Amino acid sequence: MPAGTAIECNGVSLTYSAKSGTPVEALRRVSFRVTPRRVTAVIGPSGCGKSTLLLIIRGLLAPNAGQVLFIDETTGNRASTKPRMATVWQGFNLFPWRTVGENVGFGLELGGMSRSERAERTRRSLALVDLAGFESKYPRQLSGGMRQRVGLARALVMEPEVLLLDEPFGALDAQTRLILQEQLARLVETSGTTAILVTHSIEEAILLADTVVVMTARPGRIAAEIRIDLPRPRSLATTHVAGYSLLFDQIYGLLRDEVVKAMTTEMESA
Amino acid sequence: MLGERPSTPAIMERSDSGPVRSFIQKIGEPRVLGWIAVAAVLIMWEIVVAAAHLNPIYLPRPTHILAALVTMFSSGGLLTDLLATLGRIFGGFAVSLIVGTLLGIWMATSERVNAIADNFIAALYPLPKVTLIPLLIIWLGTGGPFMLAISALGAIFPIVINTVLGIRQCDPGLILAARDLGASNRQIIKMVLLPSAVPSIFAGVRLGLGVSIILVVAAEMVVGKVGLGARLYLAGQILETEQVFAVLIVLAILGVVVTKAQDLVDIWLNQWRA
Repeated sequence: MPAGTAIECNGVSLTYSAKSGTPVEALRRVSFRVTPRRVTAVIGPSGCGKSTLLLIIRGLLAPNAGQVLFIDETTGNRASTKPRMATVWQGFNLFPWRTVGENVGFGLELGGMSRSERAERTRRSLALVDLAGFESKYPRQLSGGMRQRVGLARALVMEPEVLLLDEPFGALDAQTRLILQEQLARLVETSGTTAILVTHSIEEAILLADTVVVMTARPGRIAAEIRIDLPRPRSLATTHVAGYSLLFDQIYGLLRDEVVKAMTTEMESA
Repeated sequence: MLGERPSTPAIMERSDSGPVRSFIQKIGEPRVLGWIAVAAVLIMWEIVVAAAHLNPIYLPRPTHILAALVTMFSSGGLLTDLLATLGRIFGGFAVSLIVGTLLGIWMATSERVNAIADNFIAALYPLPKVTLIPLLIIWLGTGGPFMLAISALGAIFPIVINTVLGIRQCDPGLILAARDLGASNRQIIKMVLLPSAVPSIFAGVRLGLGVSIILVVAAEMVVGKVGLGARLYLAGQILETEQVFAVLIVLAILGVVVTKAQDLVDIWLNQWRA
């Protein structure tokens, strides 16, 4: 197995100016480490900047201060190249004018891969998310759960070393979410991919993650890092394991005050 | 009989089933009824004009108009006029489609270009384009370049404005997704912004093509030697009313064909919306 790349956020801060011109401090000196081939969940109240943090890690947004470092595990030095990364988005962000196959193959097409090879890799990736044979459908013809599986296939086809998941199941109904969470849990357990999962669901964080990073209300800071040592493979049954409710209560305790704080700021600014 | 046509209520099906009944049902269908109405008006027109001995300078008989139309096509060179007009409309329109879309993309992706172009567009867009005919004649004469310019001028504004609008309305999430998958700026324009703006651009094309048709025919009426507008104006001058009607019919059919073609393109472009 190739040596992994760890991701280190060092004092990442971001302040942007809102439409009214007033500066908004989204992130304040956020530092944490993402272990390679492990799942790190980032959880926090809405508006705490956790999705923004994901964009910064992906390199789609530049922080005002601090940096994101990629560390080669074998040498302990900064990696010479960034790891391959791919994102799964809360709103799916599928290209509606492209078929499912064309959506999944988008990244490969950008890289100039031949049509036949693209078709083969697309087919394999769709099979991975149980959507074999759906190549010629359009996103609009699919349910929300199926669309997000297309989003997952579109990220997986890039063979990412780091998978970034931005509230991937936030827009789905409760039953669909449960099933996809279990599928994703299996996928990350078997593939050995590094994953960063942004979520507001404690249950999802515990089910999927090895480490849960709890963030504060805006400006987002790190409140705590909690290790999840529950046995794998995990599934819905994991919620009945002895350690589960302890972890749940611990994270909820940390989050509760922050959520209340976030609600108060929202009401003041409204 | 029952259940043979599930779309009509069974109670209507049961009452009668003879050939007369089905004939009446057929002419009662909205589409058929529409054409029957057209035929009825034409027949009435023919009868009234013939019976009242109206002067054909004011209102010729439909059959005579049709005869004039056939003669004009077979020996009167109307096909040349039609082709000239079509060439002018679509030639100028093609120029504005390319230039307009490129300018629109440039404006939507660069605030500076937008600021520079915006005032000119704001000043020129509301101006009735026919009023530019005298100035364009002074600059370009009355030949091909003038006709192409007037046609292009008619179509370019709706196309530019709709391209800018369409690109601005692009979901920012799609741009993020494309960047995440490794797209360059050029690839984002070509593979995300442009396709997402296509429905809006096509709405501009519809508006623009309509204006182009009006302007070319109007310009031909003013200065043309060939073309449907020139033919129409000339026929009016020498009181050949049958020929006036014949040209109007050709223009009407042209309008219908263009509209239907646009509908088909629209359906093809929007298949992913289904």
